[in-house]
Formats: sequence, C-alpha cells, structure tokens
Amino acid sequence: MTTGISLVRENTLSMQPPRALWTSFPLGRPLGIPGDANFQHRVIRAALSLLEAPAGPVLVDYPEDIPELTQAAALSCPVSFTRPIEPPNSWSSTLLSEFQTLLPWYELGRHRRDGRTVVGVSASSVKENIQKIGALLDESRLPVESLRWFKAAIEDAKLFYFESLTAQPGNYDQASVEHVFWHETALGATLTELSALFLARPGLSAFARIVTPRAVMDASPGSQPQHSPKDEL
Amino acid sequence: MVRLSDLPEDERAHLLSKSEPPLGPPVWTAPSRPLNELRIALVTTAGLHFRNDTAFDFADASYRLIPGNEDADNLVMSHSSVNFDKVGFAEDVNLVFPIERFRELAAEHTIGSLAQIHYSFMGAGLEPSAYEQAASQVAGLLKKDQVDAVFLTPV
Repeated sequence: MTTGISLVRENTLSMQPPRALWTSFPLGRPLGIPGDANFQHRVIRAALSLLEAPAGPVLVDYPEDIPELTQAAALSCPVSFTRPIEPPNSWSSTLLSEFQTLLPWYELGRHRRDGRTVVGVSASSVKENIQKIGALLDESRLPVESLRWFKAAIEDAKLFYFESLTAQPGNYDQASVEHVFWHETALGATLTELSALFLARPGLSAFARIVTPRAVMDASPGSQPQHSPKDEL
Repeated sequence: MVRLSDLPEDERAHLLSKSEPPLGPPVWTAPSRPLNELRIALVTTAGLHFRNDTAFDFADASYRLIPGNEDADNLVMSHSSVNFDKVGFAEDVNLVFPIERFRELAAEHTIGSLAQIHYSFMGAGLEPSAYEQAASQVAGLLKKDQVDAVFLTPV
C-alpha cells in the first residue's frame, strides 16, 4: 500500500495514485515547516489516515496552511554583500573574499545544528570549488568536460551560503534567503552570468536550467527564454 | 504555497506540463491490519544519499538505500532541479524525509514498525515511466523487508 504527500494537486489528480494528501506547502517542503515536529506529525497523521479509506483512488486536501510569517527572522549573517555592478578584475578573488567573510557564519550555523551540514555532494571543498567557478567566468570558459563536477560544486556552494545566512535560530522566509543569494551576492551574480553562457552555447542551453532558477534567469538582462515548459526540470 | 493560481503564468504552465495520465490500471490494496501493526517504509524523490554514495546524475532513474539505523543528519541532496526550496532541507532533514517523526510514531506504537531500509529516488529530468524498472526492484526489496505500507514524499 502507499500513501503520501502531493504538492501539485493537478498532477496528482491526473495520475491517480491510490492515496495522496494534497498540501499547499512550497515545493521542497512536503512536511511543511522545518523544525516543527508537531506540525509535521499532523501532516503525517492525516496522510496515514488515508490508509483506512475503503476504496480509492483517494485525494484529500490537507486543511492547514503554513502560517504566513508576520515577522520573519532577519538573516543572521550581517555581511554586507557587494554584488559587482561591473565585472571585477577577478571573479575568483571576489568569490574567495566572499567565502572567507561567510565562513565564520557557516561554522556558527553548523554548531547550532549540532554539527549537521548538507554541504558535501562534491568531493572538493567549497573554498576550492568557488575559486574554480570564479576562474571559469574570468576566462569566459564553460566546464564542458566536467559538468558533473560543476553541478555538484555549485549546489554545495549555494548550500554553504544558505547555511551561513541562516546561522542563528529563527523562522526564515525562504524567499528572502534566495533573494539575497541571487541578487546581492557575488556568487549569485557569477552563476547567473555562467548560466547565460550555457544558454548561448548550442547543445548546452538545457544545462542552464539546472544552474539558475527560471525566475532568476528570466529576470536577468538580455535573457530570452527559449524553451517549452516541459523541457525544464 | 503551491496553489497554481497563486503562481506566475510560466511557473503554472511548467507545473501543469508535468501532469501525466495514470501509469497503468487502478490498483488498490486494502489494509489487512490496523495502523499500529503495519510496517512502514519511507520513499522520497528528494535525491538523498550519504556523502560517500554516488551522487544522482542530472536525469537518473536509480535509487539509493537509506538504512534506518543510520544518522539521517548525514544525508545530502543531489537533486538536479533548482526550482524548489533547499533552505528548509538544510534546516531539517525531516522536511523531506521524516524519519525522526516516524521513529517517534513507532516508539509510541502508532505504527507497528519501521522498515530496515528506506529509499530515495531523484525526481527530475525523466518521465515517470522511466522509473518503472527501478521502482519494481524497490517493491521487491520492500516485500523482502516485510513492509506493509510506503509513505511517499515528493520533491
């Protein structure tokens, strides 16, 4: 038997799995609120109760939304990011400087989470990776021979930034964290530029869509989305 | 919130494009025992694995094993999509893989027991039908583990 969470009701209605509990939670948050065991338990119990349904398929709407943050925690890392307006002399050096500024906050966050970090998909360190990422842009070069390394490196780097920005306890607004990353940091600027280079390269344009979110790419100057909705991940 | 009506048009179109017809004829298994006697496994499409495991590829129908006696805080995510929140996962693994919640349910006898092994797929880049072979393998492994029910978390 199966039961579980649905995050896009229309998809579930179409596919008709035996049992599903639709929730209004953001993509990436099937259990709703991080760190809130009571909330998560309520969701789980609602989904498990579908196992008692006499017949299916069953699709039930979970009635509880995530409470809107009336006062989201301010990002705990008080770093003043300086997103380059003009290309710096060295993206690699700029990123290294930004990394070193964030490192104490990353370590503070790791301490708060009892040593837990989700950085570590890449075999190389974040420091090493971001210098290499910066060097790519300095040289206007794409890592065509090492796309797997590149993807793992950028995801680790992003998570390093996210964990730094949320180092102290708090109820963080996910949209605020991502806005700061993509619009205020040098790494966000770097990835947006590299994504544009991928987009412009025949045979690699699809890869751009797993570097930068749609909303960021579509908002960047000169972007011309040339894809069908189904092409993306 | 993922009410499609709240999303920008292009995001709404993208998510609606993922709607597929049922993969096969309707299937239904009624529970033969109450919840507090059921053995439950967790299956997620969050692209989770331990650091030393092979990362998921950009479009990848394989799965990873997550032993129930391992520390879930050591899990990492190699999901290829960038169009969902990862800030929450960084804060709490239970947001996508509620293993601690289910351990609590087992401890208070709300459920019968937890499976020895749980599973993660990576839910991006492929049509659902591409997962059939791997999903069948996992179904066989779950049977061997005497699992009665699976709790699914999509990412």
